[in-house]
This record gives sequence, structure tokens and C-alpha cells, in this order.
Amino acid sequence: MTASVLLASGLALGAGTMGQALAGPDTNILNVGIAAPDAGRLDPHLSATTIDKAVFGWMFNGLVRFKPGTASPATVEADLAESWTSSDDGLEWTFNLREGVQCHLNYGELTSEDVVYSLERAADPNRSSFASDFEVFDKVEALDTYKVKITLKSAVPSLLGLVTNYHGGNIVCKKAAEEMGEDFQKRPVGTGPFMFSEYQPQQYLKLAANPDYFRGKPQLDGINYQYIPSDSARDLAFQSGELDMLYGKQDQTWVERTEKIEGAVVHVMEPAEMSVMHLNTATKPLDDVRVRRAIAMAVNREQFLDFKGRGVTRIAKSVVPQGYLGYDDMTDMMPKYDVEGAKKLLAEAGYPDGVTVKAIHTSLPGMLSTMEVFQAQLAQAGIKLDLEVVEHATFHAQIRKDLSQVVHYSAARFPVADTYLTQFYHSNSIVGTPGGITNFSHCAVADAEIEQARVEQNKEKQLQLWKTAQEKIMSEICSVPIYENLQIWATRDYVDLGYDLIGSLSLGPPVTENTRFTK
Amino acid sequence: MLRFVARRLFFAVPTLLAVMTMVFVLVRIVPGDPAQTILGDQASQEALQIMRERLGLDRPLLEQYVDFMTGALTGDWGQSMVTGKPVLTEVARVLPYTIDLTVVSLLIGAVIGIPLGAWSALHRNELIDYVTRVGSLLGLSFPAFVSAILLLIAFSIQLRWFPVISGGGRDNLGEWASNLALPAINLGLIMAAYITRVTRSSMLGSLGEDYIRTARAKGVPGRVIVWRHAMRNALIPVVTVVGLYLGILIGNSVLTEIVFNRPGLGKLIVGALGQRDYTLLQGLMVVYTFVIVVVNLLTDLTYGLIDPRVKYQ
Repeated sequence: MTASVLLASGLALGAGTMGQALAGPDTNILNVGIAAPDAGRLDPHLSATTIDKAVFGWMFNGLVRFKPGTASPATVEADLAESWTSSDDGLEWTFNLREGVQCHLNYGELTSEDVVYSLERAADPNRSSFASDFEVFDKVEALDTYKVKITLKSAVPSLLGLVTNYHGGNIVCKKAAEEMGEDFQKRPVGTGPFMFSEYQPQQYLKLAANPDYFRGKPQLDGINYQYIPSDSARDLAFQSGELDMLYGKQDQTWVERTEKIEGAVVHVMEPAEMSVMHLNTATKPLDDVRVRRAIAMAVNREQFLDFKGRGVTRIAKSVVPQGYLGYDDMTDMMPKYDVEGAKKLLAEAGYPDGVTVKAIHTSLPGMLSTMEVFQAQLAQAGIKLDLEVVEHATFHAQIRKDLSQVVHYSAARFPVADTYLTQFYHSNSIVGTPGGITNFSHCAVADAEIEQARVEQNKEKQLQLWKTAQEKIMSEICSVPIYENLQIWATRDYVDLGYDLIGSLSLGPPVTENTRFTK
Repeated sequence: MLRFVARRLFFAVPTLLAVMTMVFVLVRIVPGDPAQTILGDQASQEALQIMRERLGLDRPLLEQYVDFMTGALTGDWGQSMVTGKPVLTEVARVLPYTIDLTVVSLLIGAVIGIPLGAWSALHRNELIDYVTRVGSLLGLSFPAFVSAILLLIAFSIQLRWFPVISGGGRDNLGEWASNLALPAINLGLIMAAYITRVTRSSMLGSLGEDYIRTARAKGVPGRVIVWRHAMRNALIPVVTVVGLYLGILIGNSVLTEIVFNRPGLGKLIVGALGQRDYTLLQGLMVVYTFVIVVVNLLTDLTYGLIDPRVKYQ
């Protein structure tokens, strides 16, 4: 604690005495600082970590893409495919590829062969982490050099979502991937505006501008993506001008401090990560819905907003985050903050002296502070939260073994309700089962609606099904949604991103062919 | 002496084997899953299981252990589970940085600490002695990462003499020095605080010895008494402490490397631990043990240089 206070005051001192504005970048290379010790596996079909996703966005294309600077399915536009058509039942999709797209490092023109190879690769659990997303794919065929046909086993809520420049939708170059095999992740080859140049573990990943990029040669010469795990060192490097773009902390004081640095621009962008308390309904006393309701009533969301900062957080209004296709405002169904009511409900459930629930939690400071506020709020209603704090990787392992009665999880997902509902509330995703992902609550009340909505072709009916699913989960109180935390990045004012930054699904601002330094 | 070195190294073999076994067991006892690190938090249990099989983590522990031991003994340390790079390459890449940092900090520590300690002892209970004692105590109690941040604010943000991100340039002397300066000063000052205190108390001890009084009685000049008679005898405990402290220095280098973003064993080991990179952790722990063994050996050999009475058998 003392150390962090010292650090904070040290930084404030540094910020306060910072005099002259910076002249501008020394080179035409964008220096980016990310909060991580190292890269993961640099293969877009393997790694799903925040650290790597931003980079994949700069190196790869999808058949379609989110318009740069947005993270909404409504803005999907052409990328490698110029146009596409679909059958009425939504089962057959034909994509017409752009001609003349070149793979990095002289691996030749990108054709339908590469697209077929990539999508099959993304669907193969041995080579991809996203195979389950592509289970509905029946076959992918090359009709001719520039025409690809996808046939589905059943309709999906958003086929275009699956073939965007995100996760398994990233298109790799077949020849390079086959030639390199396991080594592909050491020298990934795509078609994006920037291409792999050099990687030094725990130091940096250097990307060079792709001179043959189909949208035109990038204005920047390259990107130097630097892995800097120390928060203070990263901030100081930004302050000294060594970094042009900086991964920020989702924290109001960080935003306010960074905005004071001359020439710094702070970006608050979508998608938000929703902080949710998942209540394990399979264990006592949480198997009693009255106890779960009492917990929800003991939560004061406004206090959380004051604590986290209103500039970077907003109140969660449903079990699906705002802005997702299918999201419905469930504010009316949220139990109102009422400590006395919570106590009464507990007594009614047979716990007049209160209850004790166990939670295992990560020691990551940002998440832990939220949990501590939660703990203090529950205590007022006579609910004792027994908090066991462990290191982050341990936390992830233990909550997946069903060891924590309350799981605080913070996540952003592909912005279609289906993803969030399936991963967190469908019975197939219950932790500990073979298909287990992140259903920590053992919730299984909306399986039917989630499954029906997935294949429903009538948009209105689909939205209605998702709404019903949210209602059912809310009334069962499988979880208590708390707040949504937006993504924070900072850039120097001489960085012109080339678009308006509202959001980015890769969690990092896109760096495109138009991104440039203004001086 | 060669026989002494050979024998000492030979006795290090069981130590290394024991450490390798312990590390192998310990990294697997700690909860956490390398597959989860690689695949991220949306991976299903199925996908995780496939990844574990690919990493060979589904095999019986004994089989993994035998593989690791035979591999390590034949020079094949496997590949990092997370990056897929060979462990030996990774270690070899960062080892020079750690050696640079440790040796230069040690030199800074000795150059400042030994004269300061002696001076302080000679002026016992005078102002200069008090200042040195308080100063060195401050140096000992200051966390390495706080001093690192203060150095960065002073020299990188205010004065702009050095970059904040030290990076890895070792190609020419200028770049090497500019990247090494702040981290080495940071650790060197802490080292100096230690050496000052040990030198002072050890010097006080030897200045009170009978042979010093005899030398003074004979009329030996003060300079010779201090540097040849008192200092030489006072250095043995200093060397012992420095040897022991080198281990701590490597530990402190973890924080220094992280704050200055400098490559090194410490940074690598913390990263590997966070990611549950079993193979890399195993390799790194063995290297650490070996370094400690070598440092201890060098310490013992240094005694002979200082004290001719020490014989190696």
C-alpha cells in the first residue's frame, strides 16, 4: 500500500513538473505500449488474449470487417470479400473476393484457396481455439479463384460476425501456414496493412508497413509494439514521448492524470467489459433464490460508479452488455437496493443471523477493489463474503473447478447476445463439464430460448427470444450484473488514427493505412 | 586448486538434481494451467484438453519427469510452452543482460561501499559516520522498485539523459551504457549500502586488534596501517557478505528489470511464472541454482587472494 502511494505521488510529481510539449515523433514508426509481460502465440487462430488481439487486427483481414473505429455488428463492411449473397434460409453464403490482394512477404495473391484453408483451419480444434464457433459450418468450397461458398448445418445469429477480422475469421495465407507449420506463430503471414518484422520475447514485436496493401501503402513505416508490464514505467515512457500510443488503465484517476499530460489524448471506447457476480446456484445457501435475491438487493450500483469513476464506467442493465445485438434493458427487473429488505428476505429463507458465502478471487488490483466493495456492501445486510485472494492464473484454474461460490468475472465478447448468453448461461457451458466455458452459476433456465434464437431467421422473433432468455435469467438471479467498464487507450495528439474511434472489438485501436503522424 | 574447483563442482551435481526435481514438482503443484494462458478465457474444456495433450501435460507425471531429466542432462531443455521457442535459446538470450547488470552493480557497490565503510570506521561517532550510517540504512530499507521510479523521474523525465524503456541494445558501447546506467545505479546503490555497513563494522573490528596497536607503536604510517593491515583483514567478511548478497541482488534485479523493461533472467522468470510456462520455469530455476553454486565457489576462491593463509585442498 505504502509502495503504491509512493509510486502514485512519484508519478504525480513527474506529471506536474513536466514542462515542454514534445516536438513530435523521431521516426515514422508508431510506438505502442501494452500492459503485458510478453506476447502469447502469434497465431490469430490460437491466441484470444487481449495482448495479441490488437496486433492481429493490424496484420490480418477477414472476409468482412468492422468499420475501423467501431465495434457494432451494424457497421460490418466489405474487406477481402467485395460482395456477398445468402440464401433465404440463411444456410448458403457466397462471397466474391477482391482481386489482386497480396499476402505478406511475397507469398503470392490471396485466392479462394486461402480462404477455404483459413476457415477450415479455424474450425479444426487441433489448430484453433475458436473451433466451437465454427461447428455449424458444414462445408467451405472454392467455387472459382475468387468465389467462396459457405454451407451451414443450421442458421446462426450472425454468419458475417464469424467471418469478420476477429478471432477465427482472420484469414491466413495457406502457402505460408502450410510451409511453416508450428513455426507460423513465430512469423505469421496475412494480408493486412502491417506485416511481421521482428519479435523479441518480453521486449517488442515490430511490424513493417505492407507496401502492397490493397487499400494502399500505409502512411506509417511500421509499428513497434512494446511489452511493458510495469504500469508506472509504461506511463512514464508515454510521458517522455517514447510511446505514441498507450494501453490505459480502466480507472478514473488514471484517465484524469493522463489527460493532464500535455499533448495526451485519452480515448474511452467500446466494447465495455461487464463486471458480473455469478452466484453458484448448485451450492447451499445460494440454491435458494431468496438468498440470491437478498445478495442482489444488498448491492448498491451507484456506489460502484462513484468508486470506479463515471467517466469510464456505466451501470449494467442486463445479463447481456449494452450495445450487443439482442440486448434488452432489464433495469426494472433488477432488485432495488434495499438492505433492510435483504435482511428480511434472508430471515424468511431461514437465515435470520445472515449467511456466509465463499469466494475465490484474483489479486489483480482493479478487480480486487471491486470485490472488496461488494464484500463491504453485503456485510451490511448480514451476508459474510469469505474472500480468498489468489494469484490470477490460480484464480482462473480454481473457478473453473467450481471452487468458488461467487465468481466475479469481467468480460467483453462478440457483440451478439448469443455469445454472452451461451458462454455464461447455457447449461452446456457449465464449468467442469466437457463443453464447459464460463457458466459459473450452473444456470440452465434459458437453454431453449438461447438455442431457438440462434437459428431463428425472423429478426423480430429472434430479438424476442433473446429478451425472454434475459428475463428468465434475471428472475432466476443466476448472477448480479454490476457495471460496465469501457476500454481506455491514450495517444499523443500528433497521432491521427484516420477514423473516429468509438470502439474496437480487438480491444486495441485499429492502426490502418490512413493512420499517420501530423508532425 | 583445480582439484578443489572440480570437487566443488562435482558436489554441486546432487544439489542441481535435487533442485530440478523440486522445481518439476513445485511448478505442477501450483494451481494454474498453461493451456488456459495460451488459449484465453473463452476456450472450452475440450479445447483446453486438446492443448494440454499437445503440450504433453496429459501424460503420467513420472513419464514427464523422466523426459525432463533425460532431456536436461543431454542438453535438450525443451521448448517454452507459451512462445514455443527453445528454452536454452531463451535463457542464453537474456543471460548476458543479467550478467552485465549484476557485475556492474557489484562494481558500483564495491567502489562506493568499501571506501565509504572504511572512512566511516576511521571517523567513528563523528558526523561523517552518522551520515554514512543513516544513509546506508536508508539504502537498505528502500524498495528497489521505488528507487527505480525515482531515478526514472529524475534522469529520464526531467533531465532526459536516458530513455525510460531501457530496451535491449548491446551493439555498441554507448547504447550498452545508456541502457545499463539507471538499472545498474539502482541496484549498485543498494549494494553499496550493504557493503558500506559490513566494511564499517569489519574495519572497526580489525582496527581494535593488537597488531594494529603494534604497528602504530612501531611508527608505521597511518595510510599503510589502514589499507594494508586493517583493510586486508577486514575484507574477508565483506567478500562473504557480497557472495551471499549476490543471490539477493539477482532477486532484486527482478523488480529492476521489470520497471526499466530490461531483458533478464528475473523478468523472464516472473513472466514464466505468471503464464505457468512449466518448461521455461524449470530451465530458469536450474540456471539460477547453477549461478548460485558458481558464485559461492568464486567467493571461496577470492578468500585465497585476500588471505594467503587460505589453502584449497
